[in-house]
Amino acid sequence: MSAAVLIATKDLKLRIRDRSFIILGIVAPLSLAVIFNLVFGNAFDAGTGIGLELGVVDLDQSESSRGLSQLLEAQDDEFLTLTSFDSVAMAEDAIGKDEIKAFFLFEEDFSQSLTSNQAATIFVVGDIDAPTTTQIAAGFAESYGTSLDAVRIAVLTIVQLTASPPAGNPLSAAFSYEFTDVEAATRQLDGNTYFAAAMGVFFLFFTVQFGVSGLLEEGRLGTLDRLMVAPIKKSSVIGGKAILSFALGIISMGVMVVVTSILMGAVWGAPLGVTLLVVAGVLSAVGIMGLVASVVKTPEGAGNLGAIIAVVLGMLGGVFFPIGQGDDLLSKLTFLTPHAWFMRGLGDLADDAPWTAALPATGAIMVFAVVCGAIAWVFVRRSLSR
Amino acid sequence: MVDILTATDLVKRFGDLTAVNGVSFSIADGETFGLLGPNGAGKTTAISMISGLLESDAGTVTVAGDSVGTSSTKAKAHIGLVPQELAIYPDLTGEENLHFFGRLYGMGGDDLGTRVDEVLDIVGLSERRHDFTKEYSGGMKRRLNIGIGLLHKPRLLILDEPTVGVDPQSRNAILESVESLSDEGMAVLYTTHYMEEAERLCDRVAIIDEGKIKAEGTRRELVSLVGEKDKIAIVGSGSLGASVEPVSQLSGISEASSSEHRLDVLADDASSVLPSLLMAVTDSGGVITGVEVIEPNLEAVFLHLTGKALRD
Repeated sequence: MSAAVLIATKDLKLRIRDRSFIILGIVAPLSLAVIFNLVFGNAFDAGTGIGLELGVVDLDQSESSRGLSQLLEAQDDEFLTLTSFDSVAMAEDAIGKDEIKAFFLFEEDFSQSLTSNQAATIFVVGDIDAPTTTQIAAGFAESYGTSLDAVRIAVLTIVQLTASPPAGNPLSAAFSYEFTDVEAATRQLDGNTYFAAAMGVFFLFFTVQFGVSGLLEEGRLGTLDRLMVAPIKKSSVIGGKAILSFALGIISMGVMVVVTSILMGAVWGAPLGVTLLVVAGVLSAVGIMGLVASVVKTPEGAGNLGAIIAVVLGMLGGVFFPIGQGDDLLSKLTFLTPHAWFMRGLGDLADDAPWTAALPATGAIMVFAVVCGAIAWVFVRRSLSR
Repeated sequence: MVDILTATDLVKRFGDLTAVNGVSFSIADGETFGLLGPNGAGKTTAISMISGLLESDAGTVTVAGDSVGTSSTKAKAHIGLVPQELAIYPDLTGEENLHFFGRLYGMGGDDLGTRVDEVLDIVGLSERRHDFTKEYSGGMKRRLNIGIGLLHKPRLLILDEPTVGVDPQSRNAILESVESLSDEGMAVLYTTHYMEEAERLCDRVAIIDEGKIKAEGTRRELVSLVGEKDKIAIVGSGSLGASVEPVSQLSGISEASSSEHRLDVLADDASSVLPSLLMAVTDSGGVITGVEVIEPNLEAVFLHLTGKALRD
């Protein structure tokens, strides 16, 4: 057994023994994939669109109040359905019967408030059991208010059944919402697959840290000196840590692919293509997190900085929500992350595409792996030369 | 005896600080050599270069004929290092720690298993071999730390202050373990700032301070450097004044004086003259009730050479 493999085997035993890898590399991504899918899964169901069921109570009956309804009604029925109600009571009754999840309320003085330069409010009333739809509806209202380009419009979200009064600044409670064609953004990845892949690649960057920060841990334990005076090459010590990172990443992603395919019905695509993407993804994670570990002095520092990098790359890469593929800056920045390429690669494999469809994304991911990995290797070797 | 280690003109600088400045010494097969000096004297830096952990700025080190450097795997195979700080894996058992490091040195199979058993026996941890080392006491961890260093039967074992922070019982066990190593023919380089340990364990001692070796030799050679002699105090039941003259004429005695029931003698080597000294006192009518021998120690030598105490 080579020294590098020996070191990796020892570390693997330690990681399995302290259960940290099991929790962070397998339990956490699987659990979050299931939870995310339960919460947001319907929004990703291919073929049925988002399926928002909204209502509107327009007591103002002005051009300003009708504008939102006209905007929403122009959307595809697969994305949302909009039902008009004559009164608040009827709309609330519809929520109670689960016919709609949320409704917009324009009070009688809405347009008058607008024209008199006073605060105008669009109320969004939502089902307490449908917080996501309610928030999306609030986002529509916010966007609409912005588009009016007139006076300040507050969007107030009242959750039905809580009976709690609106709190804080309604504007700050609302958020901007971009109406995105989710299917187009993720290229036909269904919700199960999307969140399985997203959580897998997100936690991959935490998982590989066990290996790449291993040298710092050896330094803390004092065992690094023992390794360095042993009759083995420096590259064996570094290689041992890299092998461990790679092995942990492959195990983690492998379990994700198999388990989510069986239990969640995730469809990852052509096995060879998925394998290429997973291997490239793991290598890029090893390279990037290795680079992070090479510029800090302590395992704690590597953990903290690594977590920040992992979260930022994950968010930018669209693992929590799909980033659009338009011409805006965010859409361009997203492809500065291996996460985005990984998700795109899986999207390219969807609908029974051949394994070769994953090659462009695999190549892009390998660029991250090679560049970051090479720099990390140089930095680490230099740090071991005393 | 053949020299196992030869260090020649070693120099190591850290910025403006010269931690080791022209250190040279050699250690023969089966010899225990002490590097005695206070904290910060350059001991750890010197052994870091000797063990291949640190690259020297100048000078050479050879172990068993092979040149030592940070990349010299052949020479490193001859060396066992017991670092000052603990260097064991807390989440592995004592036995697993030994097996891992044994394999790292190319050992395997039955030979490794047999050697692990031997080492656990030497360091007194056979009963706790299957316990995680995080459950060991501080002394047990220290002993395992030593066990890992000698596992692969190195030609040269380097121990860097192995008893620092250890309770007296474990300390004694460690010292006994080290004493047994030289019986096996292993050369030992032992650094310490405890004068008593150097005197007990080492065949030869080098006194190091501010990165330089101030003196080197056996304890007696070092003591003779500063002109110190052994002091022998003999206590009798009556006056020992009649013993002064015959005792003064004995070979190896440089001075003798008496006061009431006591005879004070200065000798070159107390152990060699003691039998004839006691006989001379008895023959002159003295009745001996007690004997005390005070040999000049390395603390006095260090103080003489450096002008400061070892623990300064």
